[in-house]
Amino acid sequence: MNTPGDSRRSALARIVTAGVGLITAGLAGLVGLVATPRASGPTKKWRKAISVLDLVPNAPTSAVVAERHSDGWYETRKQSVIFVDRDGDGYRALSAVCQHLGCRVHWDDGAQQFKCPCHGGIYDREGRVVAGPPPRPLERLNVRVNPKTSDLEVEL
Amino acid sequence: MNDKLRDLLAWLDDRTAFRTIRHHLLDEPLPPGTGWWFTLGSVLLFGLGVQVVTGIALALFYAPTPDHAWESVRFITTMIPGGHVLRGLHHWGASVVVVAALVHLVRVVFFGSYRKPRELNWIVGLILLQVILAFGLTGYLLPWDQRSYWATVVAINISKLTPLVGESVAALLRGGPDVGALTLTRWYALHVLVLPPTLAGLVVVHLYLMRRQGISGPVKARPGQPQPFFPYQAGRDLLMSIAVGVLLAALAWKGAPPLEPPADPTASDYVPRPEWYFLGLFQLLKYFPGKLEVIGALVLPGIAMTLLALLPWLDRGQSREWRARRTLLSVFTAGLAAVATLTLLGARDKPGSTSTGWNVRELAGAALMASENRCVRCHKPDGLAAPIEAGHVGRPADWLAAHVVDPEVIAPGLREPPEANQRDTAAIVAALARLRAESPPALDPSTAHLHVVVNRTCLGCHLIDGVGGTEGPDLSDVGSKYDLASIERRINNPVDVKPDAEMPAFGGRLTTEEIHAIAAWLAAKK
Repeated sequence: MNTPGDSRRSALARIVTAGVGLITAGLAGLVGLVATPRASGPTKKWRKAISVLDLVPNAPTSAVVAERHSDGWYETRKQSVIFVDRDGDGYRALSAVCQHLGCRVHWDDGAQQFKCPCHGGIYDREGRVVAGPPPRPLERLNVRVNPKTSDLEVEL
Repeated sequence: MNDKLRDLLAWLDDRTAFRTIRHHLLDEPLPPGTGWWFTLGSVLLFGLGVQVVTGIALALFYAPTPDHAWESVRFITTMIPGGHVLRGLHHWGASVVVVAALVHLVRVVFFGSYRKPRELNWIVGLILLQVILAFGLTGYLLPWDQRSYWATVVAINISKLTPLVGESVAALLRGGPDVGALTLTRWYALHVLVLPPTLAGLVVVHLYLMRRQGISGPVKARPGQPQPFFPYQAGRDLLMSIAVGVLLAALAWKGAPPLEPPADPTASDYVPRPEWYFLGLFQLLKYFPGKLEVIGALVLPGIAMTLLALLPWLDRGQSREWRARRTLLSVFTAGLAAVATLTLLGARDKPGSTSTGWNVRELAGAALMASENRCVRCHKPDGLAAPIEAGHVGRPADWLAAHVVDPEVIAPGLREPPEANQRDTAAIVAALARLRAESPPALDPSTAHLHVVVNRTCLGCHLIDGVGGTEGPDLSDVGSKYDLASIERRINNPVDVKPDAEMPAFGGRLTTEEIHAIAAWLAAKK
């Protein structure tokens, strides 16, 4: 049997439940907002990689490209490893990041291949996948020679 | 006195009803035949307790920032009395928890304890297992050494394989553009603030449901009277926990595995490996190249977890005895064997050790550092700066290079810089990089001097064991081509042997003894 008191009580119960729900949702939303990383814009620039004179003959030369890097509150230098190689009359620059899971590939001089130590990915000298799990070739970077300094610069 | 105590307890009970609570918590009647197999949950609880306590102790010292995390962990293990055992307990404790959880799970399956009405508690248990693995994953990053950094890079990249939302999941896990400061604080917060209350809440639910439905007991009901949990089963739980505790202490006594060098995103020769309980997954990935990868990373583990979660509905017979569940138990055992095999294969598939002996440049650097007017002038016990020891080099390479060239930059006015020489500096920086992980081999003074001279004079043009210049021929196996006398003549005056040689004569620039030593050293390289 419904009395006016009962329906008032159930209406109030709904209001209180909704209120608690709102507070919970608000707090969860706040945490979600703060915890979601903001997308950073593209920061590609021409950066100095290595002097043309320092290239090793007959093998890709590894070079470290350093850039200032803000990692949240932490100011640091981001260092990326790339491989620079002669390509006909020009140059070829490959990122050393394995396209499988992001480990660092190294050049195996004996096999003339890039090898990833993690899950056995293998690329040829031009960065094409030869074997293993990588889904894509090594990332090819734009490269140019600075005529004043003879430095190879890559867009990174 | 006794009366007073009794009065006090009665007063307390009147206000708190603690006796009723105690009775409710501990005097639960257990079915006859509940024995040692039912102690595994308590062992797990004991392991989790160890993790909580040691984790709090570690958090007293740990600093979750890229420039201090590694240092603070090293401080814990080397400077705090008992610190290495503390870290050992937390490290091996994690393995104990994972093993206990898995054995507990296997026990529940073989006893059919997930059957109606315990389906929900089985699911809660599976979620608890995921939380435990999440602890393992987030905790692995915190020491911020090479091992943690690279394992985390791989783990986050695996999360990208999630269909549709992969990139967002990875971004959420990373916190920033790359694995870095924001990842470390995020995973630290997860490890110490988010996961512990989640775990505690789920454990409470797990225990509540276990009590509400009662212990399943042996697969076939046995005759006899139920026994209260306390002290009978509690005694077994205690003994098992002590046994596991002794094992854990034995493992932890030597500490956790030593820290590797600090995280270095540019390291090209580092081979990351996950903690052993993820090795099976690690191995599975290798069988699914390219686009199929998602099968090994998410689909197969997902199917396995789903099948486990559905067990109460797949296995609904009357009897819990093994005979009646032969097919199911065989399939489950085969699954276990597959996981064990993958883990073993993953463990065996060790990459060839990239660590070789110290090369000549690194040895020259070590010799230079030890020579009187160099690093040891300040870096000595009770000196201006701390002694340089293996495993204690935490600074990044560019800082080290700047410091070696000019220590003044770091502490102006304190000391004059040693004479700068590009090749010496390169050698010291190379040696310091090596020192992050291991001590140099001991060299007698004349050999040490030989390496310094080779580094200064030969490596400018020649490659030896992979270091040096490329203008001259590689000398790594020169001893197989020329004998000692021939090499000595070439160093003294190359034109004597080869009229068109471009190499300068070292006859006047090095002493006869030095040239002889270099030639003998090179002649031995075959």
